[in-house]
Amino acid sequence: MTVTLLSNLAFYIPELIAIITMCALLFMESAYGDHERRRTFVYVTGVIGLSLCLFSLFKNIPVESISIFAGSVVVDSFSTLMKITMVIGTLGTFYISHKSIDIYEEFKSEYLIMAVGVLVGGMLLASSNNLLTLYLGVETLSILSYVMTSLKRRDSHSSEAGIKYALYGGITAGVMLFGMSHLYGIFGSIQFGEIVNGMKAMQEFNIAVIISMLMFFVGIGYKIACFPFHMWSPDVYQGSPAPVTAFFAIVPKIAGIAVVARVTYQFFGAENVNTEMWMRLIQIIAALTMTVGNLSALNQKSVKRMLAFSSIGHVGLILMGVITFGEQGMGAILFYTLVYTFMTLGAFFVTTMVINRTGSDDAVYFKGLAKTHPILGFSMTIILFSLAGMPPFGGFIAKFNIIMAAVDKGLLTLALIAAINSVISLVYYLKLARTMILEDADGEQKIDSYSLTSRVYIIAMVIPIIFLGLFWNNIYNLYSSAKIYLN
Amino acid sequence: MSGLLNYILWMPAIGMLAILFIPSSNKTAIRYTALITTAITFVLTLMLWAGFDNSIADMQYVVNVPWIPDFHINYSLGVDGISLPMTILTGLLFFLCILSSWTVEKSLKGYFALLLMLEATVFGVFFSLDFFLFYVFWEVMLLPMFFLIGIWGGENREYAAVKFFLYTFFGSIIMLIGIIALYYSAGNEADAFNILAHHGGQYIDKTVSIFGMDWEFNKIFFWAMFLGFAIKVPVFPFHTWLPHAHVQAPTAVSVILAGVLLKMGTYGFLRIAFPIFPQAAVGYAEIIAVLGLISVLYGAFCAMAQNDVKKLVAYSSVSHMGFVMLGMAAMTTQGMNGAVLQMFNHGTSTAMMFLMIGVIYERSHHRWIVRPDGTKGYGGIAKHMPTYTVIFIIGMFASLGLPGLSGFISEALIFLGIYERFTTITVIAVMGLLVGAAYLLWMYKRMFFGEPSEEVRSYSDMNYREIAYMLPLCAAVIVFGVYPTPILNIMRASVGKLVTLLAGFQ
Repeated sequence: MTVTLLSNLAFYIPELIAIITMCALLFMESAYGDHERRRTFVYVTGVIGLSLCLFSLFKNIPVESISIFAGSVVVDSFSTLMKITMVIGTLGTFYISHKSIDIYEEFKSEYLIMAVGVLVGGMLLASSNNLLTLYLGVETLSILSYVMTSLKRRDSHSSEAGIKYALYGGITAGVMLFGMSHLYGIFGSIQFGEIVNGMKAMQEFNIAVIISMLMFFVGIGYKIACFPFHMWSPDVYQGSPAPVTAFFAIVPKIAGIAVVARVTYQFFGAENVNTEMWMRLIQIIAALTMTVGNLSALNQKSVKRMLAFSSIGHVGLILMGVITFGEQGMGAILFYTLVYTFMTLGAFFVTTMVINRTGSDDAVYFKGLAKTHPILGFSMTIILFSLAGMPPFGGFIAKFNIIMAAVDKGLLTLALIAAINSVISLVYYLKLARTMILEDADGEQKIDSYSLTSRVYIIAMVIPIIFLGLFWNNIYNLYSSAKIYLN
Repeated sequence: MSGLLNYILWMPAIGMLAILFIPSSNKTAIRYTALITTAITFVLTLMLWAGFDNSIADMQYVVNVPWIPDFHINYSLGVDGISLPMTILTGLLFFLCILSSWTVEKSLKGYFALLLMLEATVFGVFFSLDFFLFYVFWEVMLLPMFFLIGIWGGENREYAAVKFFLYTFFGSIIMLIGIIALYYSAGNEADAFNILAHHGGQYIDKTVSIFGMDWEFNKIFFWAMFLGFAIKVPVFPFHTWLPHAHVQAPTAVSVILAGVLLKMGTYGFLRIAFPIFPQAAVGYAEIIAVLGLISVLYGAFCAMAQNDVKKLVAYSSVSHMGFVMLGMAAMTTQGMNGAVLQMFNHGTSTAMMFLMIGVIYERSHHRWIVRPDGTKGYGGIAKHMPTYTVIFIIGMFASLGLPGLSGFISEALIFLGIYERFTTITVIAVMGLLVGAAYLLWMYKRMFFGEPSEEVRSYSDMNYREIAYMLPLCAAVIVFGVYPTPILNIMRASVGKLVTLLAGFQ
């Protein structure tokens, strides 16, 4: 269903709200000289703006998929649900950035502006329906990300991470564009619908299609940090300020996953000559991503770095859900991203608190956290067990759904690899849990910024994790009924 | 009283919540809350027994409520002749463990709360009739165990806790794949997670492809399940976590570990692996028997080499659980009955041993028969602590298999059952009994005879509280040693059904 251009905007309200919020933030930033007051205004505006955005997304979960702006953007329930998760993630990192001393005071409002900007890019990416929109989304997302990485301007690690990120990003974006131009060359259109038709019309397996799709995948794979495009992620995660890292672990990843799911589903969902090859490639990438991520996480001392590698492992699992197509895989991916968002926010919040106390995210500073700060320590433990996939927490259900979907499609090998990866991941999660709970703290340690709202925040992250582990029928129902726009 | 299982399952959880709301300074209230909770739970399990119909082979007291309708996951509970003895055992041992933990001072609140949580999950495993529910309880059980060993354990507790956790987690996640594969093989979608609906060996001609090769569904997933349960039992060569966990765990946790948790493994064989894959089970009976035999002998010889008395008893558990495996591998009426009875009897006798070690440990703060530097640890206890000695003898002989005490009957039944099928293995396994007698008697000689040292003289004999929690176990090993019929009656019908099912595939 296509609609006239002007009425298109009605379907684009959430994005418009986000864009207006960003502009308002920019305005506030420059309008108030007084620091204290400015920051308060900026935070309030940001939170209100994104809450409105969240609200309008919730209100308008589309029953029917629509393409707008001459078919370049789609609004379907899949992308809307993904966007909801992204907005929740962004809102969550706002509070982390508010509490963190890893970002210097004077840059705090910049963080908000750029985070909302990246969010807009991510939203565009999640609902893009042609190659150009997709590229626009990726670039909006990326360029602001590079700046965010080096927000801690006076810190050499942060600058180094920014440069690394930008260099990698530039190269992969180039490769992606190259792949896109090939796709255009082969199919004669940048519209997904035309490409899909072209693929369906093909009579035999075409290696050029797969190669150009792979090049195209390089750009996205880099965003979601899957093997072998994951090398940047540990350095960037470690170098960036903690709230930025939390943000990177959530919004760009989810946006990237949305794109991979959409492209895979649209291009290869209906059986055609190239499906099998693509399936196999993503399977191999998924298996390697999980294994490499989890194995690399084993010996990390920096918790941020460990979480970076562990998130690579999680991306591998989600990719496994992507290739299952179908309702079940869809529900599983959406569910996984939601649980993953809460877990990541919680984990990074605790890490931020430790960084605030010690100035470092080394695992040794987590010693005895459960004794000195029981709520933080036990919440982190729950989050770690959930990340490892222990019932009765949401992380288990998320993995369970993915593995279910994979076994349903006969991908038993992959399911087995995922299972073994769960065990590997448990090793390093347990190591951190052990440090926090079983070891004694070195002396009396107080976290200055640990206030009542911090307790409320971390509990608010843990409750959904437990809740989603026990009563997931309704939310899964909603998720598995999500539709991807088909041209 | 169809809701009785609900009460038994959630009673400890309610007690745990109650404890969490008591301020940690009020230690007496915490102790009594835990004690009363477990006492009520134990009484409820006895009521379950009273209302149990021995003549029915199928599940009784069934509860079935939809939990996650989309996946056909149900909150479905039930108890039959195989799980009822385990239920009674669990109720009894947790009650006694709370009594034995009366002197725990370190973070008392967390300790009792976790013990009660553990009790709830153990009941959950024995009652679950739904795969998903079963798996959740099976895994959640690891959390309290991890903390109980890791926080209240001995010097090397962290290593032990992590090792225990990883081993079990590895086994169970492989099991999970099996569960999911079964889900998609179910004939009737509504019963996809229903454990009982999978019984009967329906998966004979199916194949699956893993790593590009075709495997027989029946066999590959039998081994997947086998791995999960064998680690828990533990069967040689998956037993290496056990000595660490036992030695480091506090007394009550060792009792629960040996008394109840190990039985979850063998229970898993009887409830899941055997009836769902009877063809594979029958086909591989010999391998299972050989693994059981190795466990019997290897455990016994390892026990003989120990100077740490707790480690010695820990290895003796490996050996005794080997007998259970032998009995199951026999797949005859006597063998199966013997195996289930041995699960119960080993629970009581090994609990006695660990509790007695806990009693002496509270006085000596070491567990050495002979210290690593060669000097004597315990010795001459008999002269100094007569009550302790008498109760210890009862426990030891029960675990050694002396006629008239509980261990003898179950081992005799197992040998009766297996002789026809695996004669050679039987002959060698009987040697295991001999080794068992040897290490226990040798331990006894070293600990109890001779002149008491200065150190031993300073120990006081058992107090009334300690005697109080040993007496029910003494009664159990003597009564069921002379007259095992009540327990055998419970299990007869259900075990008979399983044996008949397996016999169809011989």
